[in-house]
Amino acid sequence: MDLAIIFSPLIGSILSILIGNRLGYRYSQLITCLFILISAIFSTFIFYEVNFNNTFYNNDIFVWVTSGQFEASWSVYIDTLTSVMLIVVTYVSLLVHVYSIGYMDHDPHKPRFMSYLSLFTFAMLALVTSNNFLQLFFGWEAVGLCSYLLIGFWYKKKSANNAAIKAFIVNRVGDFGLIIGIFLIFLYFDTIYYSDVFSNAANFKDITIFFLGFEFNLITLICVALFIGCMGKSAQIFLHTWLPDAMEGPTPVSALIHAATMVTAGVFLVVRCSPIFEYSQVALNFVAVIGMITAFFAASVALVQNDIKRIIAYSTCSQLGYMFFACGVGAYHVAIFHLFTHAFFKSLLFLGSGSVIHSLKNEQDIRFMGGIWKKMPYSYVLMVIGTLALTGFPFFSGYYSKDAIIEFAYLKNSNIGSLAAFVGITTAFMTAIYSWRLIFKTFHGKYKNEKIKLNLIHESSLVIIIPLILLSIGSIFSGYLFKDLFVYQNFLDFWGSSIFFLNEVSEKHPPFWFIILTPLLVISAIPIAYYLYIQNTKILSKFTNDNLKVYNFLLNKWYFDEIYNLIFVNPLKKIGYFFWKSGDINTIDRYGPNGISKIIKIISNKAVIFQSGYLNHYAFIMLIGLTIILTYLVIF
Amino acid sequence: MIVHSIFFYFFSFIAVIAAIMVTRAKNTVHGVFFLILDFISVSCLFIMIGAEFLGMIMLIVYVGAVAVLFLFVVMMLNVNIKETTLTKVKEFKGVKPIGILVGVVIFLELIVVIGGWQFKENVLITSSSVVNQNLTNTESLGNILYTDYVHLFQISGMILLVAMIGAIVLTYRKKEGIKRQNVFSQISREKKDSVTLAKVKIGEGVEIND
Amino acid sequence: MIEVGLGHYLMLSAIIFTIGILGIFLNRKNVIVILMSIELILLAVNINLVSFSIYTQNLLGQIFTMFILAVAAAEAAIGLAIIVVYFRNKGSIKIEDISSMKG
Repeated sequence: MDLAIIFSPLIGSILSILIGNRLGYRYSQLITCLFILISAIFSTFIFYEVNFNNTFYNNDIFVWVTSGQFEASWSVYIDTLTSVMLIVVTYVSLLVHVYSIGYMDHDPHKPRFMSYLSLFTFAMLALVTSNNFLQLFFGWEAVGLCSYLLIGFWYKKKSANNAAIKAFIVNRVGDFGLIIGIFLIFLYFDTIYYSDVFSNAANFKDITIFFLGFEFNLITLICVALFIGCMGKSAQIFLHTWLPDAMEGPTPVSALIHAATMVTAGVFLVVRCSPIFEYSQVALNFVAVIGMITAFFAASVALVQNDIKRIIAYSTCSQLGYMFFACGVGAYHVAIFHLFTHAFFKSLLFLGSGSVIHSLKNEQDIRFMGGIWKKMPYSYVLMVIGTLALTGFPFFSGYYSKDAIIEFAYLKNSNIGSLAAFVGITTAFMTAIYSWRLIFKTFHGKYKNEKIKLNLIHESSLVIIIPLILLSIGSIFSGYLFKDLFVYQNFLDFWGSSIFFLNEVSEKHPPFWFIILTPLLVISAIPIAYYLYIQNTKILSKFTNDNLKVYNFLLNKWYFDEIYNLIFVNPLKKIGYFFWKSGDINTIDRYGPNGISKIIKIISNKAVIFQSGYLNHYAFIMLIGLTIILTYLVIF
Repeated sequence: MIVHSIFFYFFSFIAVIAAIMVTRAKNTVHGVFFLILDFISVSCLFIMIGAEFLGMIMLIVYVGAVAVLFLFVVMMLNVNIKETTLTKVKEFKGVKPIGILVGVVIFLELIVVIGGWQFKENVLITSSSVVNQNLTNTESLGNILYTDYVHLFQISGMILLVAMIGAIVLTYRKKEGIKRQNVFSQISREKKDSVTLAKVKIGEGVEIND
Repeated sequence: MIEVGLGHYLMLSAIIFTIGILGIFLNRKNVIVILMSIELILLAVNINLVSFSIYTQNLLGQIFTMFILAVAAAEAAIGLAIIVVYFRNKGSIKIEDISSMKG
């Protein structure tokens, strides 16, 4: 059954791409959805079995590499952490597949799209079910590849191609760190199987090594290197530039990859390697600091963005920052819980915005929307549910997970922890503001679109709405239903050996004023946002005009793209251009193929002169040949 | 011996000059004449050193037949003086220096090869074609030619026959409109093609359809 | 130098041979010159053979010369026949017109 989970998306993908065009797009859509449905059902069974019947999967399928001491195999390893991820990945993937049937109905390349989605699901499943770092890396790269394919799905658009390449390359930079981490692990642990590495981690706690001339603690170095990979994959600060541009892809892609699955691979890696991370406080602090900065940065940028998908993308970035600083303060289980709930409400938000975009004929700028809540009631209600969950409105799922993070940060009682809690609360307030800004500007107020008439807008079809409804159920109830299991009551029994806690996790509760603080801020954000954005927009425009520099700073994403362009992209482009022009064309081509063909032409032009047709020329040349032979015979 | 040398130098000088003028004469007919002069001087040389049969044969065959043949062809092809100006085509310009170089090389090689020739002392003495001083050149040649080398003699006759047939075949032209005898069709005539018996009525004629 | 021996005859033969070879390709007139040069070459060979025959008192050289004579005559006849037919077809035997093998 475990093999069926992993391989049925692959089969669906291969079938769809090979015979999809011939059978017609309906069949390819049906086949892929069917296979993912199989995966989803089986993953539910496995979730139940692993957690309540205490079974445990650790099968090697076959050995991939043996080279001296290095051994790695294809394997299926399912424990609690993996089973949770399986649920998340397969269910969101299933709903996105069904949604794409409706969303992509105007697109001529449907089988290719469904095939890529299934391929991505397979890669993600391979990533989470591995029991060694090499298969993890395979899955890591494969999801990067699928992300490239899917972002650049409309490959005829230049901006889509650029965005896809940007995503892949920035990911690659992160992967470099990941590779160094894996190399270090193999160098010192002599193995890359999780079980061996994790059980030996305690013995390497105090070892220091020399790297690039500096002395580092081994565990810290490994963890920081692994985390750099996570920074790339999960779009943390410094390696976040690809995520907003990745919105060039179709909306289902954004929902699947950039909300629920690929970007959470980084969090998965950190939690999976919790046995290693726990031994290095420096690394944990680093993770927490990066997470905090990202959360704050992304929320601040999202306040002023105008593209609906970009706002939600920055929101994802920010929530990932939350997850990472939850890991950084040692609350891995809370991070996974937040990942679980976040998958639901973020994909709900993305798909809902996709429904809006679809109805408005691909209009994505919220300045050109407004006042359509009466026309699209279902989408409106569902998006409101998603927003409530995202902001942490009491009793929705986000409230449980997000506030748990802030509580645990506060309870850690260290400098980092308190700072993290403060940043978390501020960011939650900002999150609320921009999320409600999104809702109000999109659905309320005056209708500002010039291209489409108001009475032409209608609700999306059922195929689009039903996944949204299912996701909204998850958004509302998943927090309440699973909070005891994941975080509060029996979490140690639940997680078992998949997460390692070095220190005791405190069971205390923070003071009452603290617990009330965040929900109060979040609830109060709703009327504030309504007032600022709908009733009296003049205050805000005056504020903007007074602080134009700050506004531009935020609008241009803290000028990260421009800085990177200046430092990295332009010099590298120049170097590449130089090598292409001088190296490739002038040297290799000139002396290689082009040169040889030119020489042959010249020689044959000269050789043609010999065949003049004149008789005595021929006789002459015969005589010359004879002379040479005679000379040779005489002298030698 | 002095006389020998004087005659030798005289004849060889003429031979060399004539050889050079064969190729460089402006008029092709003059070239053929210089060729004849060359043959004559070499034939004189042969007579001088004692191979008089060969000298005479050379006169008769070479000069009398081959050179005259050359003259026939040159006259027939009507090679005019005006057209025999040296061509100024540029493909020919670079040929001269290399050509002279090639000539010098061949000459030197000849000298080296033949000049360094060593042959065994008594290899030629023992053959049967030693000159007997009492007979004339002609007689001694005849003694050897028709006995030891008769096969070669016959074969050279065949060569000449083949050359003759070849020359005729190459230049043979059938002209249209000339009546010729076709012996084969003459012989293979049958009675029924040529004679018909016809009963003729008095006063009427006979129709002849040829 | 005064005393003429075998070497002088051989030298003469070599000179005429070289002149014949040079005549083959240093002519710029017509094809008949080539044939005449070939006759010169054969003549040089004859001189060579005869002088060797006289020097070694052996008649073998002279006999061979006779055969060479016969063959030279035959070959001159055929060569001239070819030129005649060529002239009939092409109309000219000048060197620069005989370039139909060009390429």
